[in-house]
Amino acid sequence: MPTISINLKDFEQLLGREALGDRPVTTAQLEAWLPLVKGELKDHESENGEVRIELQDSNRPDLWSCEGIARQIRIKLTGASSSYPFFKGTQPSKRRLKVAPGLERVRPYVAACTATGYPVTEAGLAQLLQVQEKLADIFGRKRHTVSIGLYRLPAIVFPVYYDLVKPDDARFTPLGFEEKMSLREILAVHPKGLEYGSLIAGHDRLPLLRDEEGQVLSLPPVINSREIGEVRVGDQDLFVEVTGTDLLMVLLTVNILAVNLADRGAAVKAVEALYPYATPLGKSLRTPLDFGKARTIPLKTIETALGQTIKAEQVRETLLAYGYEVTSSRDQVAVKLPPYRNDCMHAVDVVEDVAISLGYGEFTPVMPSQFTVGGLSRVEQLSDRVRDLMVGIGFQEIISNVMASRPELIDRMRLAGREEDRVVEVDNPMTQTYACLRQSVIPSLLRVEAASARSFYPHRLFEVGEVALVDPTAEVGSRTVTLLAALIAHASANFSEIHSCLDLLLYYLGCQYRLEPISHPSFLEGRAGRITVQGQPLGLIGELHPEVLEQWQVTTPAVAFELEVDRLAGENVAKS
Amino acid sequence: MDTSSLIDSLHPLEIKVLTALREHHAAAPSGALREDEIAQSALLETAQVSMAMGWLLAKTLARVQQETVTPIASLTKIGERYFEKYSPVERILSAVRAAAQTGKRLTIQDIQAHEGLEATETSRAVGALKKEGAIRIVAGGCVEATGAPSHTAESLRALLKQLRGTRRELKAIPEPLRPVVEQYAVKRGNTNEPFRIDDHVDRWYALTPEGKSVADLLAQQRPSDEVSQLTPELLKDGSWRSKRFRKYTISLRPPRLAAGKRHPYREFLDLVKQKLVGMGFQEMRGSLVETEFWNMDALYMPQFHPARAIHDVYYVKEPTHARAIAEPFLSRVADVHKDGSKTGSAGWGYNYDRGRARRLILRSQGTAVSARRLASAPQVPGKYFSIARCFRYDAVDATHACDFFQVEGIVLGPDINFRTLLGLLNLFAQEMAQAKESRFLPAYFPFTEPSVELHVRHPRLGWMELGGAGLFRPEVTLPLGIDVPVIAWGLGLDRMAMVALGIHDIRDLFSTDLELIRTTRGHF
Repeated sequence: MPTISINLKDFEQLLGREALGDRPVTTAQLEAWLPLVKGELKDHESENGEVRIELQDSNRPDLWSCEGIARQIRIKLTGASSSYPFFKGTQPSKRRLKVAPGLERVRPYVAACTATGYPVTEAGLAQLLQVQEKLADIFGRKRHTVSIGLYRLPAIVFPVYYDLVKPDDARFTPLGFEEKMSLREILAVHPKGLEYGSLIAGHDRLPLLRDEEGQVLSLPPVINSREIGEVRVGDQDLFVEVTGTDLLMVLLTVNILAVNLADRGAAVKAVEALYPYATPLGKSLRTPLDFGKARTIPLKTIETALGQTIKAEQVRETLLAYGYEVTSSRDQVAVKLPPYRNDCMHAVDVVEDVAISLGYGEFTPVMPSQFTVGGLSRVEQLSDRVRDLMVGIGFQEIISNVMASRPELIDRMRLAGREEDRVVEVDNPMTQTYACLRQSVIPSLLRVEAASARSFYPHRLFEVGEVALVDPTAEVGSRTVTLLAALIAHASANFSEIHSCLDLLLYYLGCQYRLEPISHPSFLEGRAGRITVQGQPLGLIGELHPEVLEQWQVTTPAVAFELEVDRLAGENVAKS
Repeated sequence: MDTSSLIDSLHPLEIKVLTALREHHAAAPSGALREDEIAQSALLETAQVSMAMGWLLAKTLARVQQETVTPIASLTKIGERYFEKYSPVERILSAVRAAAQTGKRLTIQDIQAHEGLEATETSRAVGALKKEGAIRIVAGGCVEATGAPSHTAESLRALLKQLRGTRRELKAIPEPLRPVVEQYAVKRGNTNEPFRIDDHVDRWYALTPEGKSVADLLAQQRPSDEVSQLTPELLKDGSWRSKRFRKYTISLRPPRLAAGKRHPYREFLDLVKQKLVGMGFQEMRGSLVETEFWNMDALYMPQFHPARAIHDVYYVKEPTHARAIAEPFLSRVADVHKDGSKTGSAGWGYNYDRGRARRLILRSQGTAVSARRLASAPQVPGKYFSIARCFRYDAVDATHACDFFQVEGIVLGPDINFRTLLGLLNLFAQEMAQAKESRFLPAYFPFTEPSVELHVRHPRLGWMELGGAGLFRPEVTLPLGIDVPVIAWGLGLDRMAMVALGIHDIRDLFSTDLELIRTTRGHF
């Protein structure tokens, strides 16, 4: 889903000597590795070594950075995962984050860590900012579930407080501004306040991160303080904080940021968050935290899904080379995801990782062997027959968009205010041109007619296509129906000509019909009829009203008929 | 061509023209005739003569003996307007003179605004008047009348009067006026002029020696012997035996036919349909309007998750919601989303919103049709496909249509696994793209695991992505009552279709241009 930029030199360094030897990374080489991360090379600038990669898997936010992509490939190349000791620590952290009561109703979760001893490089900062943006925007649904803050650690005096304050009771200088503003002003004026303020609106108090001395770190999830919350190239010690509405997503995000910084050489240390209310994992959370659990999968499950036998030991090696922690016995494997992943819901997720780690090319395709009978639906069979007949009668087939505008479907057809003026409308149209589903195919043919005066006459057009008819008794409020519409336009087109075509079509379809004269606004009075079969309406026929033609800016006479193909397919159609 | 077959191929119009020229030649051997004179003598329309003349010249039976070109001056629409409402030159001059009497000071902008003129016409008229000394520009950009007469303004008025409703030879216009006509006549790049000068060409035609001998031969034949069309009457009474049938010039382009024809894109889709049926697939149909439930929830796409953002959808305005979602599917899917229920899955771990499940949308993916099929007792083993109209909330451009066909389907059976999935994709590669080489890449779809992207080497297009597929997650199949593995597949055929039809804009698949539809040939 996200497309990210990485720098090839930076990527090389993150891959490391052990994985790479002395070879430089070429784009061809990178492309060969990308299946491991479900990545696709988008483009490449050879001058500055910037490469853009689209990552498909929306459940693998750990891959949405140069560090993450390099990590997955490095593990494959070296056969071993890096160790991240900070997940193992059990001692209470000296650095604490105290959560105020009431936040459970506003933005309940916060987690943090520190990363020291890594002077931030230019490429490293670019990745930090990119991963912060992509995680918060896509994984965190525009900061709703997860938002991230990065700070200069030396400026902070612990403990840090995750507080709730009234909008006028705190002031700080937000990023991008020069002077102090109240929280209320920030929400009203700052671009980020306008963009994200709605996430915390509706509460009389707002979340605020402050340190022991009252310095504001940020107004999550809106904006950081300019003083503490602006990381620059060369900063050595960072404080990383994540707030959000989903505890596991918050924890996972901290874990990803922690391993990313650790991969660049930072020493990550835990921060302990103390909650006044219960979280799914208790009142005290020491993060980064490996909350994943091992699961046991029978070897048989993996073999059945892959369609071939595989030894438990091979599964173990394959998954180790993909970052898992694995133990295997004769007929089962116990697997645990690394702490920066939480995308294993089912054994099938592990099966896919086995296949990816082995390489899809390693599997020999086998044809499905079971016999099945092919065939078309009744409506499609009939549609094909109708199309064949219409072509034989001399009509050119048209295929149109099903979406249309209300003026096309209703106003130009003179149907406004009539029973027929009900169409399925879209609540969020992109443009008014495509705001409705057509309820008739005749407007589609008129659209062609209006655009085709330069094509020689006569014009005989038809379309067999789907429409949506409003029907309050239907499950989804409308029925999808297949209609045939036919239209003839030339200087002397008249009722008799289109009637002959209808008559011939229905003769070959073996359908006895009658025409009842009707009054219909789209057609000329006295030259319009309802097509009925055994008293049941099947469709309409007539000479299009001059005002309809005028509205469509069609300058030749036109005649048309339209009927329901589904009804022809039904049992109730009389056979002669 | 010898003379007799040349005669046989002559069109009746040509014969009439030749005859007229021959008669004139007999009267005045060195003379020639204009088209209108021929028309008069042969009792034809001038247009018929000029058509026949074209053919005769091409066959070198006639020649142009003399040609004269006469420039003719006339008024354009603008000229007629100037006659009524005066030209910019006249209007500016009279405005400036009027101002001189009242002592008012006018700038060019004042005049332009007051007279409602364009900037370009104003500056040109002012320039002309200034050049001949009728006005001058003084300090402050004000325009003053000098009192001198304006030749341009007077000439324009005279010409507008003389040429109104009539045409005159340019050389019949007296000398002081003629350069003004030429200056203010329509030219390439400037069509906003009051006059136009058209070249009137007169040609005098005469027979060539060959034409003369053909015409002489013609005169000896009885014209009634020749017919152009065999008729039932000629057949009935046998009189065709004494007729000569005019020979046609068969190399001419024939008139176009308005044929009955399938749409070129339909021909492509029919081929796809035929291949799928041939491979044992049954067609499925579905509804254009769907619930979020069948479009997404049943496919294990969580209600609040970025995976859903791939499917930005159109929402239905009225009614907004379906009344109900069929049980037991709703409860089962809700449970699976919450905690995996009995599927062996951990679930998404959130509280499923049953109200949102009923929200009506326009179907965004053909997989919705597959989900419904799975829930209505499909055959096992079974293969299904649909060519379903789908809607995506995208800005319409050369690569995005507001609605489009998706070719999708499912394969279910006890023998389905990752390798048979690859086998099926190989079959698609061969059947759909005639590709001998294919590659499988890991892919991500919210409802399948493992997921595969199929890349093939198309004989003409080279390596291309042909489709995506995977094994439906148990979280999808089990709640719908399916306990065998199921392949979900989709083919991206539009690019192939566009190449086959020779078009470059996806909107042209549903073109409204009849000429394009009539003339597009598919190369399948």
